[in-house]
Amino acid sequence: MKVDIEQLNKSFGTVVAVHDLNLDIRAGEFVAFLGPSGCGKTTTLLMIAGIYKPTGGVIRFGERVVNTVQPRDRNIGMVFQSYALYPHMSVFENIAYPLKLKGVSKDEQRVRVQRSADVMGIGDLLHRRPGQLSGGQQQRVALGRALVKEPDVLLFDEPLSNLDARLRLTMRGEIKALQKRLGITSIYVTHDQVEALTMADRIAVMNEGLLEAYDTPDDLYDHPKTLFIASFVGNPPMNILPIQAALEGDAVILQNDALRLPVRSERALKAAQQHGDLLMGVRPEDVTLSADGALCGEVFVVEPLGREDMIDVRIGQHRLAALVTTEKRIRAGNRVRLDINADKLQFFDPASKRSILWT
Amino acid sequence: MNVDETLSAPLADLSPTTVVPPPWLKMLIQIARNCLVVTVILALLALVFGSILRPALEAVNVNEELTALLSWLLIAAIPPALYLTVGFTARTLRNAHPARALVVALLAATLVYGATLLWNAAFPAAQAAQGQPSLEMTFAQADSGVVIESIVAGSAAEQAGLRVGDVITAIRRESIDLAALQSRIEEEPLGTPFRLRVQRDGEEFQVTVNSIASATGAGNAALSRAAAGRAVALVVTAVGLLVPFNWLPYLLLGVTLLPLLLGYTWLIVATFSQETHGLLPVDSTGSLGGLTLSNWDFLTEVSRRGSVWTYTLNSFAIAVIMTAALLVLCSMAAYALSRMEFRGRRLFLSFTLILHGFPAVTLLIPIYLVLLNLGALPIIGEYIGFNTLGGIALVEIAFGMPFGVWLMKGFFDNISWDMERSALIDGANRWRTFWEIILPQIRPGLFALGIFSFVGGWNTYLIPATFSTGTRIANLPVYIQQLLGETNPINWNEIAAIGLFQMIPILILFVFAQEYLLNIYSGGSKGSS
Ligand SMILES: Nc1ncnc2c1ncn2[C@@H]1O[C@H](COP(=O)(O)OP(=O)(O)O)[C@@H](O)[C@H]1O
Ligand SMILES: [Mg+2]
Repeated sequence: MKVDIEQLNKSFGTVVAVHDLNLDIRAGEFVAFLGPSGCGKTTTLLMIAGIYKPTGGVIRFGERVVNTVQPRDRNIGMVFQSYALYPHMSVFENIAYPLKLKGVSKDEQRVRVQRSADVMGIGDLLHRRPGQLSGGQQQRVALGRALVKEPDVLLFDEPLSNLDARLRLTMRGEIKALQKRLGITSIYVTHDQVEALTMADRIAVMNEGLLEAYDTPDDLYDHPKTLFIASFVGNPPMNILPIQAALEGDAVILQNDALRLPVRSERALKAAQQHGDLLMGVRPEDVTLSADGALCGEVFVVEPLGREDMIDVRIGQHRLAALVTTEKRIRAGNRVRLDINADKLQFFDPASKRSILWT
Repeated sequence: MNVDETLSAPLADLSPTTVVPPPWLKMLIQIARNCLVVTVILALLALVFGSILRPALEAVNVNEELTALLSWLLIAAIPPALYLTVGFTARTLRNAHPARALVVALLAATLVYGATLLWNAAFPAAQAAQGQPSLEMTFAQADSGVVIESIVAGSAAEQAGLRVGDVITAIRRESIDLAALQSRIEEEPLGTPFRLRVQRDGEEFQVTVNSIASATGAGNAALSRAAAGRAVALVVTAVGLLVPFNWLPYLLLGVTLLPLLLGYTWLIVATFSQETHGLLPVDSTGSLGGLTLSNWDFLTEVSRRGSVWTYTLNSFAIAVIMTAALLVLCSMAAYALSRMEFRGRRLFLSFTLILHGFPAVTLLIPIYLVLLNLGALPIIGEYIGFNTLGGIALVEIAFGMPFGVWLMKGFFDNISWDMERSALIDGANRWRTFWEIILPQIRPGLFALGIFSFVGGWNTYLIPATFSTGTRIANLPVYIQQLLGETNPINWNEIAAIGLFQMIPILILFVFAQEYLLNIYSGGSKGSS
């Protein structure tokens, strides 16, 4: 079932939660809504579920406009962050509840609940109460309940936020695999970019009620169209430095009050055609230690990340984060020379905050 | 280059320059502070009772001794309280350094003792008695009166002309024996003039001697009292230091509960006895015994006022109607108030809160008019008008709603929206969600409200007493009131029995439902985990 969203708006009194949202979700696609907390992800999801009525715009399931269709008539399944299990019912009753409401016969309920529970690996917990389960098990029950009625669309609202890091990792893989296998159109709300980047076919990045970008994870990472996406996607975040670019021979000189960096790259050439101030973006993994590097600064924070150290280097009044192997044994106070991978640079117009390289 | 060095260097400068007092001194300071707090609190309380409350009460011509007694007790309690405080404070040191705790406690107790001595010396008036009043003579009983056995040399008595062998026959004109004389001397304040009638060699004359604090006797008494005080101080301090005091809350609870428990005990004893003397059952002659079941005869008797079972049934009907209606109405109203956003919601909520505090008495007359009008309605008027069970229940329900709505709203507020959304997505409609998902989770709230309503309806007096006439729809409390108002002698023991009878269902309810009632205070049902 494909889902189309056109010019969707929602306001609560004077608060505009979602503004002119346009999205097309293909049948069987896994789409993530990614954005900081309060940007309108949940509101959008609840409009798709039919809990909130849109203030304006259209939501289509297939060719059918569902704006005024009741949640129970949309054939959707939803998994909440709080699991939202019914504490007074057993696991079996929880999963069977949607079937019971549909009027499915008792025998068929048993078969389908068992099947759904087995898929989620909770087949032997059916007689328990939700209160007797761990967080991970509760989330599986919630997922089983969402799946049991074979929904056309699956909605997830930060389903893994309440789980510990390890469990989150396994559940991430399981949900992804399950979705691929069942081919159910899924919308997955999260504020965790790693979740979005690893799970989704496409990511809708939202900010303050607006859609910032709607692209595949790779495109978002390598070709960020706006400054917001560049700095929001990726962990640790991209370095952003104010800079001016000038052509000198066949090299491009990138410079500001504290640094001067000659580079040769297609991207830099494109930037040099833009006169005036620019914002240069470079990811920490594209900054390397190099004995003859053009950048020189003092390390003032070293943050061990396990395999690598993240070092924060001060160059004049600017700061540049870099990922270096722990073997280098860099310590705070050290002076280091750095080089950057010119082929991976990003450039943005400081006024419009849009990329100069990608449109 | 080496970062570790630069990091560790400043640590050396952190060595303390301020002098930390040794633990025992800190403990002493702590003790002093606690003692000061205790003293101030007790003294203030004494002041309130003795100097504020008492004059105020006297100003309105209430003659009572309790406030003066309390004030005196509070003052007298200061030294023991201080010793206890010393012991208690030193306890914190007890496990780690028992010896040190003991020494500190003894030292502090000594200091406190010294302070009280100083206090008494500086303000002798504060002491109840300062030495024994004495006439500085010793006496013996003789046939003719009290013979003076010895006189302190240079005393007032000697100067007044008394001699050994004189016989005291009377004070003023009251003739007197040895015991009476001595008790008079002790009881009268210091400096009281005693006009003694004395016989010497058949001659009779009068001598006036003032009583003074006896030097030697008072000294001895003071010494022995000081020793006793010291011993008490040590014992009390040791108690504070050593005795496990985790039962103290229970002791306090027990003491404060005592009047209530005594009241219930009397109630139960009274119902099975002809008469009571204190808590003891007595028979008509006043001797112990007289246990009887006759007070319970009302259960089977049909008196001039009808059977008690009619009243019981009425009580029951009011309670049940009220409970059922309040459960349904309050939960639905509270659900709406908790979940829906509409104009005037906040206003409505604060208004109900005010209504909850509104005294019912002030509304009796308007309600009477309402009930009269309701009674005039066709068909249903017969069941909800003035002097009908339905009417009474209706008024009770109206008065019970504000509290019920607020109580239930609290429970609804605790249920996450996600649960409800989930049910809607699973395919339930609003009504079913309310009934199958939400209500089961606030079951403790429903229980609590149900029990409160039932107890309220069962015990209600004001409304049935006002809006019913005769015995047809009166309930038990009204019945008891009618018995109390009778002109012939009131059988208190029977009334106690009816009171106990009325309490039985409530007691049963509470035994089975305490857990749910406690839930109200712990704030609703425990969720899924
Ligand atoms: N029921 C509501 N009433 C009023 N404001 C709301 C409501 N739900 C959400 N909002 C507001 O809408 C904005 C978006 O909220 P939400 O969709 O929950 O963000 P998130 O992206 O964190 O899920 C927030 O500013 C929030 O305060
Ligand atoms: Mg949210």
